[in-house]
Amino acid sequence: MGIKYKSAQEEMVGFAVIMVIIAVILLILISFLSRNEDKEVVESYEIESFIQTALQYTSDCENELEFFSLQGLIVACEEGKPCLDGKDSCLILNSTVEKLVENGWQTGEQSSIKGYNFKIITNDKTTLEFKKGNETRNYKSGFQGFAKSRDNYEVTLDIYT
Amino acid sequence: MLEFPFKFESCRNKKGQMKIQQMIFMIIAVIILFAMVGLFFLSTAFSSLRKSATTLAQEESMLLVSRLANSPEFSCGNAFGNSKTNCVDFDKVAGLKNHIGEYSDFWGVAKIEIRKIYPSGEKLCTEANYPNCEIFKILDKNVNTLPYSHNFISLCRKELNDKITYDKCELALLMIASEDRTNGN
Repeated sequence: MGIKYKSAQEEMVGFAVIMVIIAVILLILISFLSRNEDKEVVESYEIESFIQTALQYTSDCENELEFFSLQGLIVACEEGKPCLDGKDSCLILNSTVEKLVENGWQTGEQSSIKGYNFKIITNDKTTLEFKKGNETRNYKSGFQGFAKSRDNYEVTLDIYT
Repeated sequence: MLEFPFKFESCRNKKGQMKIQQMIFMIIAVIILFAMVGLFFLSTAFSSLRKSATTLAQEESMLLVSRLANSPEFSCGNAFGNSKTNCVDFDKVAGLKNHIGEYSDFWGVAKIEIRKIYPSGEKLCTEANYPNCEIFKILDKNVNTLPYSHNFISLCRKELNDKITYDKCELALLMIASEDRTNGN
Protein backbone atom coordinates (compact mmCIF):
# COMPACT_ATOMS: atom_id res chain seq x y z
CA MET A 1 0.00 0.00 0.00
CA GLY A 2 2.85 2.33 1.01
CA ILE A 3 4.74 1.70 -2.25
CA LYS A 4 1.54 2.32 -4.27
CA TYR A 5 1.01 5.70 -2.49
CA LYS A 6 4.63 6.69 -3.09
CA SER A 7 4.31 5.83 -6.77
CA ALA A 8 1.10 7.89 -7.07
CA GLN A 9 2.80 10.81 -5.31
CA GLU A 10 5.74 10.60 -7.71
CA GLU A 11 3.34 10.63 -10.69
CA MET A 12 1.59 13.70 -9.26
CA VAL A 13 4.88 15.52 -8.70
CA GLY A 14 5.91 14.68 -12.27
CA PHE A 15 2.60 16.00 -13.59
CA ALA A 16 2.95 19.20 -11.55
CA VAL A 17 6.50 19.71 -12.85
CA ILE A 18 5.32 19.29 -16.46
CA MET A 19 2.45 21.74 -15.86
CA VAL A 20 4.88 24.31 -14.41
CA ILE A 21 7.22 23.88 -17.40
CA ILE A 22 4.32 24.33 -19.86
CA ALA A 23 3.06 27.38 -17.93
CA VAL A 24 6.52 28.99 -18.02
CA ILE A 25 6.83 28.32 -21.77
CA LEU A 26 3.36 29.79 -22.38
CA LEU A 27 4.18 32.88 -20.29
CA ILE A 28 7.38 33.45 -22.25
CA LEU A 29 5.48 33.08 -25.52
CA ILE A 30 2.70 35.44 -24.42
CA SER A 31 5.17 38.08 -23.26
CA PHE A 32 7.05 37.71 -26.54
CA LEU A 33 3.86 38.11 -28.57
CA SER A 34 2.48 41.00 -26.59
CA ARG A 35 5.62 43.07 -27.02
CA ASN A 36 4.34 46.33 -28.41
CA GLU A 37 6.24 47.10 -31.58
CA ASP A 38 3.60 49.34 -33.07
CA LYS A 39 4.37 52.84 -34.21
CA GLU A 40 3.30 55.64 -31.89
CA VAL A 41 0.01 57.30 -32.85
CA VAL A 42 1.60 60.73 -32.83
CA GLU A 43 5.30 61.48 -33.03
CA SER A 44 6.88 64.58 -31.50
CA TYR A 45 8.39 65.63 -34.82
CA GLU A 46 4.86 65.80 -36.29
CA ILE A 47 3.80 68.23 -33.57
CA GLU A 48 6.97 70.27 -34.06
CA SER A 49 6.39 70.53 -37.80
CA PHE A 50 2.72 71.35 -37.22
CA ILE A 51 3.67 74.34 -35.04
CA GLN A 52 6.41 75.35 -37.45
CA THR A 53 4.10 75.31 -40.47
CA ALA A 54 1.13 76.79 -38.61
CA LEU A 55 3.29 79.80 -37.71
CA GLN A 56 3.83 80.35 -41.46
CA TYR A 57 0.08 80.26 -42.21
CA THR A 58 -1.18 83.44 -43.90
CA SER A 59 -4.02 84.94 -41.88
CA ASP A 60 -6.85 87.22 -43.00
CA CYS A 61 -5.40 90.13 -41.05
CA GLU A 62 -3.27 92.58 -43.01
CA ASN A 63 -1.36 95.78 -42.46
CA GLU A 64 -0.35 98.31 -45.13
CA LEU A 65 2.31 96.02 -46.52
CA GLU A 66 1.22 92.39 -46.25
CA PHE A 67 -1.08 89.80 -44.78
CA PHE A 68 0.21 88.66 -41.42
CA SER A 69 1.47 85.14 -40.94
CA LEU A 70 0.30 83.51 -37.71
CA GLN A 71 3.65 84.44 -36.18
CA GLY A 72 3.17 88.08 -37.25
CA LEU A 73 -0.38 87.99 -35.92
CA ILE A 74 0.82 86.81 -32.50
CA VAL A 75 3.19 89.78 -32.37
CA ALA A 76 0.51 92.20 -33.64
CA CYS A 77 -1.90 90.96 -30.97
CA GLU A 78 0.71 91.34 -28.24
CA GLU A 79 1.53 94.87 -29.41
CA GLY A 80 -2.17 95.75 -29.65
CA LYS A 81 -2.08 96.54 -33.36
CA PRO A 82 -5.43 96.17 -35.18
CA CYS A 83 -5.81 94.82 -38.73
CA LEU A 84 -6.05 97.25 -41.64
CA ASP A 85 -9.85 96.77 -41.82
CA GLY A 86 -10.12 97.69 -38.14
CA LYS A 87 -10.69 94.17 -36.83
CA ASP A 88 -9.06 93.16 -33.55
CA SER A 89 -5.92 91.14 -34.34
CA CYS A 90 -6.36 89.10 -31.13
CA LEU A 91 -9.84 87.96 -32.22
CA ILE A 92 -8.48 86.93 -35.63
CA LEU A 93 -5.61 85.15 -33.83
CA ASN A 94 -8.03 83.20 -31.64
CA SER A 95 -10.23 82.08 -34.52
CA THR A 96 -7.26 81.22 -36.76
CA VAL A 97 -5.56 79.12 -34.08
CA GLU A 98 -8.82 77.35 -33.31
CA LYS A 99 -9.41 76.41 -36.95
CA LEU A 100 -5.82 75.36 -37.60
CA VAL A 101 -5.57 73.11 -34.53
CA GLU A 102 -9.06 71.67 -34.97
CA ASN A 103 -8.38 70.73 -38.59
CA GLY A 104 -4.87 69.48 -37.89
CA TRP A 105 -5.75 67.21 -34.95
CA GLN A 106 -9.21 65.74 -35.00
CA THR A 107 -10.28 64.48 -31.59
CA GLY A 108 -13.10 62.22 -30.53
CA GLU A 109 -14.08 58.80 -29.22
CA GLN A 110 -13.33 57.13 -32.57
CA SER A 111 -10.04 58.98 -33.01
CA SER A 112 -6.77 57.90 -31.42
CA ILE A 113 -6.26 61.54 -30.41
CA LYS A 114 -8.20 62.20 -27.23
CA GLY A 115 -7.45 65.88 -26.79
CA TYR A 116 -4.97 68.73 -27.14
CA ASN A 117 -3.76 71.87 -25.46
CA PHE A 118 -2.35 74.73 -27.54
CA LYS A 119 -0.60 77.56 -25.73
CA ILE A 120 1.06 80.82 -26.65
CA ILE A 121 3.36 82.07 -23.92
CA THR A 122 4.77 85.59 -24.05
CA ASN A 123 7.59 86.41 -21.65
CA ASP A 124 6.64 83.40 -19.46
CA LYS A 125 2.99 84.47 -19.31
CA THR A 126 0.28 82.46 -21.06
CA THR A 127 -1.46 84.83 -23.47
CA LEU A 128 -3.59 82.32 -25.36
CA GLU A 129 -4.70 78.83 -24.44
CA PHE A 130 -6.88 76.61 -26.54
CA LYS A 131 -7.97 73.22 -25.16
CA LYS A 132 -10.18 70.49 -26.49
CA GLY A 133 -11.03 66.92 -25.49
CA ASN A 134 -9.66 64.96 -22.55
CA GLU A 135 -6.26 65.23 -20.95
CA THR A 136 -4.73 61.76 -20.60
CA ARG A 137 -1.49 60.57 -19.08
CA ASN A 138 -0.16 59.56 -22.47
CA TYR A 139 0.83 62.62 -24.46
CA LYS A 140 3.41 64.10 -26.82
CA SER A 141 4.51 67.72 -26.94
CA GLY A 142 5.98 70.11 -29.42
CA PHE A 143 7.55 73.51 -28.90
CA GLN A 144 8.63 76.45 -31.04
CA GLY A 145 10.12 79.69 -29.79
CA PHE A 146 10.87 83.03 -31.41
CA ALA A 147 11.76 86.55 -30.33
CA LYS A 148 10.59 89.93 -31.56
CA SER A 149 11.23 93.43 -30.16
CA ARG A 150 12.65 92.21 -26.85
CA ASP A 151 9.69 89.87 -26.30
CA ASN A 152 10.11 86.11 -26.16
CA TYR A 153 7.33 84.00 -27.57
CA GLU A 154 6.79 80.29 -27.04
CA VAL A 155 4.21 78.20 -28.82
CA THR A 156 3.53 74.77 -27.33
CA LEU A 157 1.16 72.00 -28.27
CA ASP A 158 0.37 68.89 -26.22
CA ILE A 159 -1.44 66.06 -27.98
CA TYR A 160 -3.16 63.52 -25.70
CA THR A 161 -3.59 59.97 -27.03
CA MET B 1 6.44 -25.97 -8.05
CA LEU B 2 9.34 -24.82 -10.15
CA GLU B 3 7.16 -22.42 -12.02
CA PHE B 4 6.79 -19.88 -9.21
CA PRO B 5 10.15 -18.05 -9.45
CA PHE B 6 9.86 -18.02 -13.28
CA LYS B 7 6.36 -16.48 -13.15
CA PHE B 8 7.59 -13.85 -10.67
CA GLU B 9 10.47 -12.96 -13.00
CA SER B 10 8.13 -12.61 -16.03
CA CYS B 11 5.78 -10.37 -14.03
CA ARG B 12 8.68 -8.09 -13.12
CA ASN B 13 9.80 -8.02 -16.77
CA LYS B 14 6.29 -7.05 -17.86
CA LYS B 15 6.22 -4.20 -15.31
CA GLY B 16 9.60 -3.01 -16.51
CA GLN B 17 8.43 -3.07 -20.12
CA MET B 18 5.38 -1.03 -19.12
CA LYS B 19 7.61 1.52 -17.40
CA ILE B 20 9.83 1.74 -20.49
CA GLN B 21 6.76 2.16 -22.71
CA GLN B 22 5.43 4.87 -20.41
CA MET B 23 8.77 6.67 -20.55
CA ILE B 24 8.88 6.38 -24.35
CA PHE B 25 5.36 7.83 -24.64
CA MET B 26 6.30 10.62 -22.26
CA ILE B 27 9.47 11.43 -24.23
CA ILE B 28 7.51 11.42 -27.51
CA ALA B 29 4.86 13.72 -25.99
CA VAL B 30 7.53 16.11 -24.71
CA ILE B 31 9.30 16.10 -28.09
CA ILE B 32 6.01 16.83 -29.88
CA LEU B 33 5.28 19.64 -27.41
CA PHE B 34 8.71 21.21 -27.93
CA ALA B 35 8.40 20.78 -31.71
CA MET B 36 5.05 22.58 -31.65
CA VAL B 37 6.44 25.36 -29.48
CA GLY B 38 9.42 25.62 -31.82
CA LEU B 39 7.18 25.85 -34.87
CA PHE B 40 5.06 28.50 -33.17
CA PHE B 41 8.20 30.45 -32.26
CA LEU B 42 9.56 30.21 -35.79
CA SER B 43 6.31 31.34 -37.40
CA THR B 44 6.16 34.29 -34.99
CA ALA B 45 9.77 35.17 -35.75
CA PHE B 46 9.09 35.08 -39.49
CA SER B 47 5.96 37.19 -39.18
CA SER B 48 7.83 39.75 -37.05
CA LEU B 49 10.58 39.78 -39.70
CA ARG B 50 7.96 40.64 -42.32
CA LYS B 51 6.50 43.26 -39.97
CA SER B 52 9.89 44.87 -39.41
CA ALA B 53 10.47 44.98 -43.17
CA THR B 54 7.17 46.85 -43.50
CA THR B 55 8.06 49.15 -40.58
CA LEU B 56 11.43 49.90 -42.15
CA ALA B 57 9.78 50.80 -45.45
CA GLN B 58 7.37 53.09 -43.60
CA GLU B 59 10.15 54.74 -41.60
CA GLU B 60 12.10 55.29 -44.78
CA SER B 61 9.13 56.94 -46.46
CA MET B 62 8.58 59.07 -43.33
CA LEU B 63 12.15 60.38 -43.65
CA LEU B 64 11.58 60.84 -47.34
CA VAL B 65 8.58 63.10 -46.65
CA SER B 66 10.80 65.59 -44.85
CA ARG B 67 13.54 65.25 -47.46
CA LEU B 68 11.03 65.71 -50.24
CA ALA B 69 9.50 68.87 -48.73
CA ASN B 70 12.94 70.45 -48.61
CA SER B 71 14.15 69.22 -52.01
CA PRO B 72 14.69 71.73 -54.85
CA GLU B 73 11.69 70.32 -56.78
CA PHE B 74 9.29 71.12 -53.93
CA SER B 75 10.77 73.68 -51.55
CA CYS B 76 9.92 77.37 -51.48
CA GLY B 77 13.56 78.42 -51.46
CA ASN B 78 13.68 82.18 -51.01
CA ALA B 79 10.59 82.87 -53.13
CA PHE B 80 8.48 83.68 -50.06
CA GLY B 81 10.83 85.85 -48.04
CA ASN B 82 13.35 84.08 -45.85
CA SER B 83 14.12 80.42 -46.35
CA LYS B 84 11.45 78.36 -44.60
CA THR B 85 11.61 74.74 -43.52
CA ASN B 86 8.88 72.32 -44.63
CA CYS B 87 7.61 74.91 -47.08
CA VAL B 88 6.36 73.65 -50.45
CA ASP B 89 5.90 75.94 -53.44
CA PHE B 90 2.45 75.08 -54.80
CA ASP B 91 3.12 76.74 -58.18
CA LYS B 92 6.36 74.80 -58.56
CA VAL B 93 4.64 71.52 -57.71
CA ALA B 94 1.85 72.26 -60.21
CA GLY B 95 4.55 72.70 -62.85
CA LEU B 96 6.25 69.49 -61.75
CA LYS B 97 3.01 67.56 -62.24
CA ASN B 98 3.31 68.09 -66.03
CA HIS B 99 6.74 66.42 -66.04
CA ILE B 100 6.09 63.75 -63.44
CA GLY B 101 6.83 60.98 -65.98
CA GLU B 102 10.50 61.95 -65.87
CA TYR B 103 10.51 61.74 -62.07
CA SER B 104 8.40 58.60 -61.55
CA ASP B 105 11.34 56.48 -60.32
CA PHE B 106 13.40 59.32 -58.93
CA TRP B 107 12.10 59.23 -55.35
CA GLY B 108 11.40 55.49 -55.22
CA VAL B 109 7.81 55.89 -53.99
CA ALA B 110 4.49 54.87 -55.51
CA LYS B 111 2.32 57.81 -54.46
CA ILE B 112 2.89 61.46 -53.64
CA GLU B 113 -0.03 63.62 -52.63
CA ILE B 114 -0.63 67.01 -51.04
CA ARG B 115 -3.77 67.47 -48.96
CA LYS B 116 -4.78 70.87 -47.58
CA ILE B 117 -5.65 70.79 -43.88
CA TYR B 118 -6.94 74.30 -43.57
CA PRO B 119 -8.92 75.36 -45.52
CA SER B 120 -10.10 71.75 -45.73
CA GLY B 121 -12.15 69.97 -48.38
CA GLU B 122 -12.22 67.05 -50.79
CA LYS B 123 -11.92 68.82 -54.14
CA LEU B 124 -9.35 67.17 -56.41
CA CYS B 125 -7.00 69.60 -58.15
CA THR B 126 -7.10 69.94 -61.91
CA GLU B 127 -5.68 72.54 -64.24
CA ALA B 128 -9.13 74.16 -64.38
CA ASN B 129 -9.67 74.63 -60.63
CA TYR B 130 -6.07 75.24 -59.47
CA PRO B 131 -5.41 76.62 -56.81
CA ASN B 132 -8.96 76.50 -55.41
CA CYS B 133 -8.83 72.80 -54.58
CA GLU B 134 -7.68 70.66 -51.65
CA ILE B 135 -6.21 67.38 -52.90
CA PHE B 136 -3.28 67.50 -55.29
CA LYS B 137 -2.11 64.12 -56.60
CA ILE B 138 1.43 64.50 -57.85
CA LEU B 139 2.34 60.85 -58.49
CA ASP B 140 0.20 57.72 -58.55
CA LYS B 141 1.67 54.50 -59.93
CA ASN B 142 -1.54 52.48 -59.41
CA VAL B 143 0.10 49.69 -57.40
CA ASN B 144 -0.55 48.21 -53.95
CA THR B 145 0.97 50.54 -51.39
CA LEU B 146 1.85 50.63 -47.70
CA PRO B 147 -0.07 53.13 -45.54
CA TYR B 148 0.69 56.78 -46.20
CA SER B 149 3.47 58.52 -44.31
CA HIS B 150 2.87 62.20 -43.85
CA ASN B 151 4.19 65.40 -42.42
CA PHE B 152 2.82 68.90 -42.10
CA ILE B 153 3.95 71.43 -44.67
CA SER B 154 3.34 75.04 -45.41
CA LEU B 155 1.87 75.19 -48.93
CA CYS B 156 2.72 78.59 -50.36
CA ARG B 157 1.88 80.37 -53.59
CA LYS B 158 1.72 83.88 -55.00
CA GLU B 159 -1.82 85.22 -54.77
CA LEU B 160 -3.20 88.28 -56.47
CA ASN B 161 -6.01 90.27 -54.96
CA ASP B 162 -7.39 93.52 -56.36
CA LYS B 163 -4.58 95.56 -54.85
CA ILE B 164 -1.40 93.56 -54.43
CA THR B 165 0.39 90.30 -55.09
CA TYR B 166 1.08 88.64 -51.78
CA ASP B 167 2.41 85.36 -50.38
CA LYS B 168 -0.38 83.00 -49.39
CA CYS B 169 0.66 80.05 -47.23
CA GLU B 170 -1.79 77.37 -46.16
CA LEU B 171 -1.49 74.37 -43.86
CA ALA B 172 -1.23 71.05 -45.68
CA LEU B 173 0.01 67.49 -45.41
CA LEU B 174 2.59 66.02 -47.74
CA MET B 175 1.75 62.33 -48.03
CA ILE B 176 3.79 59.59 -49.65
CA ALA B 177 3.32 55.83 -49.89
CA SER B 178 5.83 53.18 -50.89
CA GLU B 179 4.98 50.15 -52.94
CA ASP B 180 3.95 47.13 -50.86
CA ARG B 181 6.35 44.38 -51.93
CA THR B 182 5.49 41.98 -49.11
CA ASN B 183 2.08 40.99 -50.51
CA GLY B 184 1.85 37.44 -51.76
CA ASN B 185 5.53 36.65 -51.03
